[in-house]
Amino acid sequence: MLLESVEYTRPRNLDEALRALASREGAAVLAGGQSLVNVLKNRVASVDLLVDVSRLDELRRIEVGADGGLEIGACVTYDELERSDDIRGAQPMLASAAGHIEDRQIRNRGTIGGNCCLSDPSNNLPPLLIALGATMNVQGPGGGRQVPAEDFFFGYFMPALEPGEILRSISIPPLADDAGVGYQALSVGHDSKAIVRAAAHVRGGDTIEDARVVLAVVGPRPVRHSAMEDLLNGAPASAETVERASEAIGDGDGLEPISDAHGSADYRRRVARVLARRAVYEAMMRGARS
Amino acid sequence: MSDERDPVVSDEGTAHAIEVTINGETHKRTVLARQLLVHFLRDTLGLQGTHVGCDTGSCGACSVIVDGQLIKSCMMLAPQVDGASIETVEGLAQDGELNVLQRSFNENHGLQCGYCTPGMLMAATDLLRRNPNPSEDEIRHGIRGNICRCTGYVNIVKSIKAAAEAGAGAAEEASR
Amino acid sequence: MSSVPVAQTTVESVEKPDRLGEWSGKSIPRKEDGRHLKGQALFTDDKWQHRMGYAHFVRSPHAHARIVSVDTSRAEALEGVFGTLTGDEVKDLSEPFFQIAPPPGGNLKEWCLAVGKVRYQGDAVAVVLAESREIARDAAELVEVEYEPLPAIVDGIAAADPDAPLLHDEVGSNIVWHGVYDYGDIDWALENADHVVKIDRLHFHRFSSTPLECNAAVVNWEQGTGVIEIFSNNQMPMFASLVIGPALGVPSNKIQFQSQDIGGAFGIKIGSYPQITALALLSKKLGRPAKWTEYRTDHMLSAGHGNERTFVDIQVPVMADGTILGVKVRAFDDAGAYLHYEPLGAVIWSQVVPGCYKIKHVQVDFTETVSNKCPTIPNRGYSRMQHLWLIERIVDVVATELGFDPVELRKHNYIQPEDYPYETPNACVYDSGDLPKALDLALGAVDYPAWLKRQEELGTGSGKRIGIGIGTTLDSGTNNFGQARIINPELPFSGNGEAAYAKLDLYGEVNLNLGTTPQGQGHETTAAQVVADILGMSPDDVNVTAGFDQRHNTYVAFSGTYASQFAVTGLGAAMGAAEKLRAEILKVAAYALEADEADLDLGGGQVFVRGDRERAIPFIGIANLVYSNNAVLSPELAGSVSLNCRHVYVPPFQVPDHEAKTGNLTLTYASQTHVCVLEIDEETGHVEILDYAVADDCGRVINPMIVDGQVHGATALGIGAALFETFEYDDEGQLMQSSFYDYHAITALDAPHIKTEHVQTPSPFTPNGAKGMGEGGGAPLHAVCAAIQNALDDGAPVVSESHNSWERIYRLINHEPNAPRGVEVVTR
Repeated sequence: MLLESVEYTRPRNLDEALRALASREGAAVLAGGQSLVNVLKNRVASVDLLVDVSRLDELRRIEVGADGGLEIGACVTYDELERSDDIRGAQPMLASAAGHIEDRQIRNRGTIGGNCCLSDPSNNLPPLLIALGATMNVQGPGGGRQVPAEDFFFGYFMPALEPGEILRSISIPPLADDAGVGYQALSVGHDSKAIVRAAAHVRGGDTIEDARVVLAVVGPRPVRHSAMEDLLNGAPASAETVERASEAIGDGDGLEPISDAHGSADYRRRVARVLARRAVYEAMMRGARS
Repeated sequence: MSDERDPVVSDEGTAHAIEVTINGETHKRTVLARQLLVHFLRDTLGLQGTHVGCDTGSCGACSVIVDGQLIKSCMMLAPQVDGASIETVEGLAQDGELNVLQRSFNENHGLQCGYCTPGMLMAATDLLRRNPNPSEDEIRHGIRGNICRCTGYVNIVKSIKAAAEAGAGAAEEASR
Repeated sequence: MSSVPVAQTTVESVEKPDRLGEWSGKSIPRKEDGRHLKGQALFTDDKWQHRMGYAHFVRSPHAHARIVSVDTSRAEALEGVFGTLTGDEVKDLSEPFFQIAPPPGGNLKEWCLAVGKVRYQGDAVAVVLAESREIARDAAELVEVEYEPLPAIVDGIAAADPDAPLLHDEVGSNIVWHGVYDYGDIDWALENADHVVKIDRLHFHRFSSTPLECNAAVVNWEQGTGVIEIFSNNQMPMFASLVIGPALGVPSNKIQFQSQDIGGAFGIKIGSYPQITALALLSKKLGRPAKWTEYRTDHMLSAGHGNERTFVDIQVPVMADGTILGVKVRAFDDAGAYLHYEPLGAVIWSQVVPGCYKIKHVQVDFTETVSNKCPTIPNRGYSRMQHLWLIERIVDVVATELGFDPVELRKHNYIQPEDYPYETPNACVYDSGDLPKALDLALGAVDYPAWLKRQEELGTGSGKRIGIGIGTTLDSGTNNFGQARIINPELPFSGNGEAAYAKLDLYGEVNLNLGTTPQGQGHETTAAQVVADILGMSPDDVNVTAGFDQRHNTYVAFSGTYASQFAVTGLGAAMGAAEKLRAEILKVAAYALEADEADLDLGGGQVFVRGDRERAIPFIGIANLVYSNNAVLSPELAGSVSLNCRHVYVPPFQVPDHEAKTGNLTLTYASQTHVCVLEIDEETGHVEILDYAVADDCGRVINPMIVDGQVHGATALGIGAALFETFEYDDEGQLMQSSFYDYHAITALDAPHIKTEHVQTPSPFTPNGAKGMGEGGGAPLHAVCAAIQNALDDGAPVVSESHNSWERIYRLINHEPNAPRGVEVVTR
């Protein structure tokens, strides 16, 4: 399909971009466009000005802090995430997850910021960023603010951005020496639309600490499963612990999976339990190896 | 068929003067913001080798290489390529002669209806530049974004593999 | 037992001089590839005309609704819009389309745009023409349609209920065709069998091969000549012409179809005639060429889906030794909202009544209904694959329930190599085959014993299951259109045929044109191969006209590219035309060389005296004598040769018996035997295909590389359909997979490497020993379902759906302990 009439501008820097965004109600940020252009083709959003930030250097940098923490510009592409030595070193699971987003063409254009700002509950990176304890650095006309990733994905296609604001970068704290990360997805086909995703982070040696278990495509937004986390924290690091903890996923735990062409709500809940278990186990194994 | 077309005059939205280099040739045009790159190539410039197979950026028939990066031209707007250098299927053959990759598709029956072929060739070109000696698995990952409904991918994979063995990858790598 | 019909059909074997061999049988790279590889092909959207407008159809968001009003004024007022066309105008300007069905189904009235009511989501109510694609779409959104929604019916069996919402008042019910096919004596078989296996329900789902190029057409109702010029990718233009002409009140000589390159079709592109009709009316009204390129979303909603069929009350009589005596079943085919090529699907399946087996007693009670879904249209494996899937499911269920080895049970029941030509219970004649050998080859290619061992080693507790499945299938080709009379005895159709036209051009070059509309099958190459063999030249020097142009290509009413027949009908025509041209060339050469025709031979683009290559005349000399030097010829010779030779290949068919529903419905029966090895993740139902092999038999092979390519393609599409690709409607009749986002077309990562093996049993009935192939009969659906079943435990339900999503597989594995299995065995 084709877009409605629209205007297009490519600002030279972030300030200009913010001014353009503030200039009218129907202004929207165009980054890689790998989702937004589809939204526009379907004419489901009313946008009359596209503010193309995809070439802004300020948004394209990957910086490593002295502590090993990362700050990733919102317009860093999936391909750059996958290939960046800094990211492979500090957050190998993020590099690996980026490498499984759809296909080469989409990875060359799609950006980490776009993946987040669409707030599509089936998107690849949000659950992982929550598990990694990421912070979203948001820039608005009146200055910057920080939003924990956990609070950023507000609902179906609703990121926690106010009109006129733009996601500038994403900060990811360093992984502790004894930390591990796991990421699991069940997709319709390989590297395609997800039916359920699960990401996990754990720490500790013989005893599990700092467990973060995030499930996605089981509701309007990716969510941490606190009941499962509670059962993990302080428990011995074993397959039995993980298995038992995953049983917390079930009826009445607050998940609101939908039924659609790719799976019923009940199936999604069952698969969520399996993937959560596998993700935590994977995190535990990786943590133990490091 | 590749003559330029009547300019569209009744459309609204912003018009942008852009300059792009396509297969080494520079084009200056005024485009509307909402025009997709693929329609700029096909309708405005008459470069019809690049095809459209879906509305959703899923099929890869419109794949071209922009500034060295394989992209789907139905997922970019024409004004976004201002200043860019674009490679399309029309630029692969040199002096009318098929290149190693194209020849390999011919010899290994890597195409049937031919509709996905231009996008597939661009994806394979990009793959061989990055990885001159890909395994079968790497080839399949390289063409994941290009749907073919005729070949079951078997002979496409075979064609790319044979092209790599015949030195297409090394040549592409050198040309970067 | 009552008598099984004795042989009713005889097909004469073909015996002709075999000149094929030097070029035919070789994997010659395709002649058509160059233009595709250079981006120089000509697809329909590449066609452009001055003053051309872009069309966009306005489609219904409702599955079923009364059209209260259509207001195009805002659309027409938009700058850049040339005009619009609505259903009300169409009703005045054209007639409803011809219907294949007899009354009452045949009373159904369909125009090229919806009139009065919309009957599925995507039904076209109006069409807009504008100066750009973008403005056409803008204008379509400004067409204001008021609907009064009506209750929708989306279940093809429930649609048969007299109380179901009625789609077409003039039909009186949603049943558009019903008939009972009764062969042998099924009651006797059920009474005398040692076991009767009863299966409750098997459902074959909707999907489409979704050609990568969507439908498209540039239609110009040329005002000066009154000719309707249609440049389109319709794959069966003569059928389209027979439907469009009467609707528009235009004789067929005023309708001129053209195409060059077609981006895949698979049957789906038979169905674009309503849109082409609307474009013709739009072009006439606005005095401009109208170009339409379907969007993928529109394609998914409205271009046509493959036939959905549900089988219920299946009863299978089986003897203690595993002999399957027969099948009794009720079948419901859901045609969607209108009859596009339907109800031919209600008879086409009967080309393969017993599948690959010596099943003698078959009763199928067949009902076709309409429902508030997209109309169906032939899709690769049309109607036969649904029935063959039923038969293959039956064989595997019988094996599982009665404890037979699926390999041995197949071999025991297969039609054996010595049984050919084999007459089926409905008097079809299977021409040739060696199914046991094909099965052994396919099993060998995957190393079946090793997988069995691996399966056993894996045991329980690993969380993984391995399943191995076999699918044997027939690709029946070269239809006898007389089978349409089984649907409607009044239809004046029978036989089949294709035309070719060979000429020696001015300087002795050979040119061939055909009535076919290839979509990637390599006709330019294989036709050149057979012509080259007959005329003693290189295929490089045979120019086969690219594409079809009604103004100068030759054709018959059956022309087009569909139904696995080119190797027989198309090449049969090409060979016939080349033989006629050869005869004329020899006649002229004999005169020129003062030699006896019997002493002459052709080679290297020359005619020479056998044993004396110095006494020769090149083709350019022949052309010179006939075209530009004919006064030197005798008047008799000059008057009897033209070097322009047309041949129509006509297959040896008789008219079927429509009352008994018997006759030879197809000429050839290519076969494919598939073996699939897959692994299932018990906790999610996710499947990985570990190994896949196909043994095909299409008789004599003209170009092995092209045949392999067809096998690969049919296999990937079938695997896609079995695991990923499905069209499903919700209860309100909204399509849930309307783009490649949700309709997951199989990718290079999902598709396995496909191993191929070959058996060649030449057909005795065809001019070249080839059997048409390409459709593939949906074998992966059989093999994948069988493999899933094979991975399940004994208490699991029957795999009753042809599409198995991860969830469906998960449910089969993790079934409730006492869940109904959908199968019962009654033992005498």
